[in-house]
Amino acid sequence: MPEPNKWRSEVRVFYEKTGMAKYISHLDTVHLFTRAIKRAKIPIWFTEGYNPHAFLTFAMPLSLGVESYCETVDIRLMQDEDLEELAVRLDNALPPDIHISKISAPRFSPQEIAWADYKIIFNCAEKNLSLYMNDILSGSEITVVKKVKQGRKKVEKEVDIKDKILRYIIASENGNTVLNITLSSGAQNNINPSLVINKIAEGSGIDADRASIIKLKSYTAEMLEWE
Amino acid sequence: MVKKEVEPLLNKVQKPARYTGGELNSVVKDKNSVKLRYAFCFPDSYEIGMSHLGLKILYSLVNARDDAWCERVFAPWNDMEKLMRENGVKLYGLESGDPLCDFDLIGFTMQYELSYTNVLNMLDLGSVPVLKKDRKSLTPIVVAGGPCVCNAEPITDFIDIVLPGEGEEVTNELIDLLIEHKEKGSSRLDFLRQAAKIDGVYIPEFYDVQYNGDGTVKEYKNLETAPKTVKKRIVSDLNNAHYPEKFVVPFIETVQDRTIGEVFRGCIRGCRFCQAGFIYRPIREKSADTIDRQCHLISDATGYEEVSLCSLSTSDYSQIETLIQKLFKWALPEKINVALPSLRVDNFSDELLNELKKIRRSGLTFAPEAGTQRLRDAINKNVTEEDVIRTASMAWSGGWSSIKLYFMMGLPTETMDDIKGIADLSQKVLDIYYQNPERQKGKTPSVSVSCASFVPKPFTPFQWEPQDTPESLTEKQKHLLSSVHSRKISVSYHESKTSVLEGVLARGDRRLGKVIYKAWQKGSKFDSWDEFFNFENWLEAFDECGLTPEFYANRIRNYDEIFPWDVMDYGIRKDFLIEENKKAHKSETTPNCRVKCSACGANKLNGGKCDARTK
Repeated sequence: MPEPNKWRSEVRVFYEKTGMAKYISHLDTVHLFTRAIKRAKIPIWFTEGYNPHAFLTFAMPLSLGVESYCETVDIRLMQDEDLEELAVRLDNALPPDIHISKISAPRFSPQEIAWADYKIIFNCAEKNLSLYMNDILSGSEITVVKKVKQGRKKVEKEVDIKDKILRYIIASENGNTVLNITLSSGAQNNINPSLVINKIAEGSGIDADRASIIKLKSYTAEMLEWE
Repeated sequence: MVKKEVEPLLNKVQKPARYTGGELNSVVKDKNSVKLRYAFCFPDSYEIGMSHLGLKILYSLVNARDDAWCERVFAPWNDMEKLMRENGVKLYGLESGDPLCDFDLIGFTMQYELSYTNVLNMLDLGSVPVLKKDRKSLTPIVVAGGPCVCNAEPITDFIDIVLPGEGEEVTNELIDLLIEHKEKGSSRLDFLRQAAKIDGVYIPEFYDVQYNGDGTVKEYKNLETAPKTVKKRIVSDLNNAHYPEKFVVPFIETVQDRTIGEVFRGCIRGCRFCQAGFIYRPIREKSADTIDRQCHLISDATGYEEVSLCSLSTSDYSQIETLIQKLFKWALPEKINVALPSLRVDNFSDELLNELKKIRRSGLTFAPEAGTQRLRDAINKNVTEEDVIRTASMAWSGGWSSIKLYFMMGLPTETMDDIKGIADLSQKVLDIYYQNPERQKGKTPSVSVSCASFVPKPFTPFQWEPQDTPESLTEKQKHLLSSVHSRKISVSYHESKTSVLEGVLARGDRRLGKVIYKAWQKGSKFDSWDEFFNFENWLEAFDECGLTPEFYANRIRNYDEIFPWDVMDYGIRKDFLIEENKKAHKSETTPNCRVKCSACGANKLNGGKCDARTK
C-alpha cells in the first residue's frame, strides 16, 4: 500500500446502472468510469510505477444483464472537493443510463456487505408460476447447480442455498409475476440471483432469459444499509 | 435506442453492448426534423467497425448538418443474426433502432475484399433487396466507398453509386442532391442521371461492359450522363477539412479504442506491392498545430487514455518530432499515453527512440517485407540490411526484449533464396542482441516473424503480376520453417486460401457479382474470419457460374490489357506503373517522393500540388 498522504480523501461514488447500461460488463464499467472521471476533470490518485492507472475500487462486480440502484466505486481525491458539485460534474460526463446518486464518505468496507435485495420480474403472468415459486422457496432445502472453482478448473456442483435466502415476497405487478428476494451477498458467500431464476425456470418451463433482475440495496450482516 | 422486440434477444448473445447504441457522444436526432437519413454501414463486427477513422469522420460530418441524421450499422455476430432471423427482427441503426430499409442513403465502406459477402447479408437482414435491379423506388440508395472501390466491379450488382476517393465533399453533395430529388418526388433513374454529373460519382449501371472471347475486358461504354472515366475525389486542404471534435466512446473494448489524429494522406514511399501507397496520393499534410489541437479536443471529449497518430508511414511526416513534443506537453501531465504505430526502419532516430522510451514499452515492430536485398529492391522497399540491424540494435539497447518483423511471401520474382533470406535476417536481428554490452541481463530476447501472402492489387506496379498459388506458398512456408534454427524466433503466416479469394475479388470484373451472390446464398459471410471462411462454398460458386479463380488470380496480364478498373482515374498514370513494373523485374529502385518526384501523375488531382515536394 502506498503512503496515505499522497491523496486527500477517499470517497464513495454511489451510482445507478439501469436500462441499456445493464449490458456493460464489469470490466467495461471500469474503463467507462476511468474515462468519465477524466472527462469530468476530477483529480484522482493514479497508481505509481511503470504503468500508472486510475485507482478505482468497485465494491462488487455486477453481472451482465442486471440493473442496479446500489452500485459503488471508491476513488481517492487529490484535493478537497465539494462532493455535491463533484457528483453533478461526474453525472454529466456519464452516458444517460448511468446516474450518480451521491458521493459521500464511505461508512463500511466492501468486506462488510452481507445481504442484497433484488427484484426479479418474470415477464409472464402464469397462475401456477407464483405457486411453483413458493413451493421451491419454502422447501426445506433448495439445491442449485453452481459453478465453483476447484483448483484452477471450474466445476459444476450442487449446493443447498436455503440459508443464503433471508426473505422473499412474491407479488403481481402489471400482469407480471415479481419476486422480491434478499440473498446472501459479498465477496465470500455471494449468491447470483440467476441461480434462483434458473431453478425456477427449470421446473416451470419459463424462459430464464426473459426475467429481468434489478439489484436494489446492499446490507451489512446487522442489516444496516451498506453505504 | 433499442426497440422492444430486440431486448429479449440481448440476454442470449455475447457482448450485448454491441447492439444497444446509447454510447457517449452518439448522436440522436428527431427523425421528423431531418430531411434525409443516412446509414453508415461497416460490413464487419462492431469492434472492428467502431475502430475505423473514416466512419468517425463521416458520422460527424453528416451529423453536423441539421437536415440529415447519420446512424451506425455493423454486421451482427452470428449468434445475434440467428436470433434476429428467428424472431423477424430487422437489422437496425444503432441510434434510432429503425430498420435499414427505412433509410434514404445506405453507405458501405469497403476496407477489404473479404467483407463483400457481409454487405449482401446486411442488406438482406435490413430488408433491403440485395440486388440493385430489385430496388425500384427512389430510396434507399446504396452507396459504396473506401479503398476497395478503386475496383468496384465485382460488387456492382449490389451497389447503386460508387464513390472513389475521399468522401468528405462528395457525401455532402450527394446528400444535397438526394434531398432535392426526394422533395421533387423524382424517379430513381432521374436521380442517378443527375448524380452521375457530380465529380467522383460512379454509377455502374451507366456503363455497358463487353468482354473478349478469352474473358478479358473488350470495352466499357459510358451511357446516359456518365463520364468516360470517373476521377477520384480528394480533399485539397486537410487543415480546413472536417474532422470530428468528439468520437463515440464504445461501451466495449474495440480494436482502436483511443484518440486518433490524422497526420497526412498519401505516402512518399512507393513500395510497389502497396495499394494504399498509390491510391491515396497525392501527399497532403496537416499542420502540427491542427493535429495537436484536434487530438486534445477529442481526448477531452472522450476521456481516452491514449492518443495515436494515423497515416501511412507516420514517421515520414515532415514535422513528426515537433508534433510529438506538442502532444507530450499536455498528454503526459494528463496521464495520457502517446502511441506511434507504423515506424520505418530507415528513419528511426535516437530522439524518436528516447521519446518512445518515456511511454509504455511493448514489443517493437518493423517491416523489412522481404528477406534479401535483391527482392527488397524489386519491391522498392528502400530499406537495407544495415538499416534493419542498426534499428534492432537500438531497440535492444533501448530496453525492448521482443521485436516483431513483418515479411511477405509470394512476391513477384521471389525465389527460395529470398525465403531463406527471411530466416537469415531474423537470425541476424537476434544475434545483434548478444553483441550489445548494454543489453538487459536476465531477459530472453524474442523475434517473431509474421509472413503475409502477397496479393497483387489494382493501381500498383504489380497489377499485371500473377498471384502465387497456394501450393507454391505452402512450399515456401515449409522452406521458411526449415530455415529457422533458433527457438527464440517464432514464425507465423496467414491462411493462403483467403489470399486467393482476396486476390480474385481485388482484380475481378462484373461477372464475379454472381459468384459473390451464390457464395453468400451458400452461407458465406465474415470471410476474413478464419472461423467463418469456407473456401469450398466459393469454389462451388465459381463452378456454377462457369468461372475459375485462376483466371483472376494466377494469369499473367499484358501491359495492353484493358482492366475493369480502367474506368476509374486515380491520378496515377498507367505508363508510370508500367515503368515501375519493368524496374521491379530489373531489381531497380525508385527514390522516395521527397528525394525525387517520379511524376506519377497524382498531383493533377490537387492542381499540381503535392506536399512531398513543397515541404
